[in-house]
Amino acid sequence: MTASITARALQKVFIDEGRGEVRAVDGVDFECRPGEIFGLLGANGAGKTTTLRMLSTILQPTAGTATVMGHDIVTQPELVRRHLGFYSASTALYPRLTARETIEFFARVNGYPADRIAARVGALVERFGIGAYAKARVDKLSSGMKQKVSIARTVAHDPPVLIFDEPTVGLDVINALDMQQVIAEFRAEGKAIVFSTHIMSEAERLCDRIAIINGGRILACDTLAALREATGHRYLEDIFVHFVRPEQAMPATGGRA
Amino acid sequence: MRDILTLYRHELRMAFRERSIVVGSILMPLVLYPTILWLTFTGITFVQGQTEGQVARIVVHNAAAVHPALSNALRVSDKFQVVTEPDARRAADLVRAGAADLFILFAPAAGTASALPGNFTATLTFDASKERSAAARDRVAAAIDKFREDWLEREARARGVPTAGWNAFTLADRDVSTGRQVGARILSLMLPLFFVIMVAIGCFYPAIDTTAGERERGTWETMLTLSVPRTRVVLAKYLSVATLGCLAGLINLAAMLVTIRPILAPLAARAGETLEFVVSPWSVPVVLVGAVLLAGFAAAGMMIFAVFARTFKEGQAMITPFYMLLFIPVFFMQDPEVTLTTKRALLPVMNVALMIREAIVGRLPWLQIALTVLSSVALIALCIRAAAFILRFEDVIIGSYSGSFGQFVSRRILGRTPKRGAAEGA
Repeated sequence: MTASITARALQKVFIDEGRGEVRAVDGVDFECRPGEIFGLLGANGAGKTTTLRMLSTILQPTAGTATVMGHDIVTQPELVRRHLGFYSASTALYPRLTARETIEFFARVNGYPADRIAARVGALVERFGIGAYAKARVDKLSSGMKQKVSIARTVAHDPPVLIFDEPTVGLDVINALDMQQVIAEFRAEGKAIVFSTHIMSEAERLCDRIAIINGGRILACDTLAALREATGHRYLEDIFVHFVRPEQAMPATGGRA
Repeated sequence: MRDILTLYRHELRMAFRERSIVVGSILMPLVLYPTILWLTFTGITFVQGQTEGQVARIVVHNAAAVHPALSNALRVSDKFQVVTEPDARRAADLVRAGAADLFILFAPAAGTASALPGNFTATLTFDASKERSAAARDRVAAAIDKFREDWLEREARARGVPTAGWNAFTLADRDVSTGRQVGARILSLMLPLFFVIMVAIGCFYPAIDTTAGERERGTWETMLTLSVPRTRVVLAKYLSVATLGCLAGLINLAAMLVTIRPILAPLAARAGETLEFVVSPWSVPVVLVGAVLLAGFAAAGMMIFAVFARTFKEGQAMITPFYMLLFIPVFFMQDPEVTLTTKRALLPVMNVALMIREAIVGRLPWLQIALTVLSSVALIALCIRAAAFILRFEDVIIGSYSGSFGQFVSRRILGRTPKRGAAEGA
């Protein structure tokens, strides 16, 4: 199956006047296929967000290449964004629009066929249970409601690729579980999903393959079962420490779940 | 008391570590406002000097009726230029047409006033709707007053009597302007000033809201994920700011036109004048074009500064100097005699304000208007190009650049190295 996302030797270097050259991402390679959730697991500052920002064309890579649905992130950024839905804690909603207006705006501006927008908005309002507050301004909504509107706006143009950058940060347990369920549903619909998190249980529950990233490099990338097999650890937390801090790693206990 | 002092120090320390407070409360009052004030007064003084330096063109009839000393004073003074027109009606027409500034008709005093030897009356025909004519009237009246004072004092001293009660050298004013002309003059003085202020205010908050406001609300990154080219996103933002500025200026203009009559007419009636506030139909398209040009420039300029701001507060601090600068050219226009010349058509903001003023009084100097439009469009294009250049820098577009416009120019364009410890966004 053709990969929806490919990243090859992706690199991002920032020039910081205080710290000098900072390699936030240093040669990242991976692929994500339709119907797959690919997890980027790393601590804060590991390079997850920078990688995802490059894939979503918010940032340009210093070196390396990446494609989304065959479109190059440097030379075809608009086409990349058209095929992509990007969700993160830092992509807030427009507070002065209503929930319905928000979904409609994102569908329209991201190139969803104009004659099908009304039906698409209606379907998303129905799917995410937004109907009761569809006409309310976003700034009047609770954080749980905002989260639903935010997911709806991410998929408003029905993109085949979705990027979720730490989507459960700041959410309570119930809302975090709802989020995980929605992401799993998108996988079932055949979307290729890149999902970054530093919460091990989320990665364990959701991801088909997991890349452990640290210092801008991918240290390991495989299915959870294969990672268990390779490290001899059962829990993802131990597997993570095994790669990131080998000196602190627990003795292997046999990786079979 | 100690608690208050501790808290007071804490508040001050926090305030002095906030750049926008330091800029707004310390640096701007210290440097910017005095500079603006100095520039304004320099400009006003310059304009006044030009007006005072103007030669008043006067038509004098029956000069033989007055004291030779006064007649000579008017003739030989370099402040007056005597225009010859023997016919009184035509002389008044010259004043109406602006070919002469003042028509003075001297006549020997009649009745009891003639008891005073050499006494005369002077009828001053002028056009109150023209600053130059009104200034000529004031200048001649002042010259006659001075002559009267000296003469009376001399005569009274010679006769050993007080000057009180002497009805000498009376002046009569004859204003040839119509209420409509005076109304147009008042409008031309007030409307362009308020227009520029309102367009600037109309652009100010939207320019901050669409840049720094978006960053503060966290929607800037959302906007960056839209599948349209970033240049279009920025252009749409610019057009929305310019539209709001344009709208603010036009709404204010309309409101002023509607309300100025009920406000000023009673005052004018008390002064014995009937004012009409009617603008030429030709002024409507000119004002519309002016609104578009002015808002286009103000929006572009403000957005260049605002794009560096990460919070609303920073945005206000960064735009305010530019916002204040917009008003400087308008202060120079307090003299109604400042008209739209070819040179002034190249001065930003002032050219548009003058173009609107000319249209309000019914003058349409097409060459200067064309120059105003061309130079304004060129300036707007330059600003947009500058904004496009700035937004090519990734850290500026994503909002991680922590410097100001000045720091950006210094470091990224002029290549100066920042002082140690001065951070700039990665």
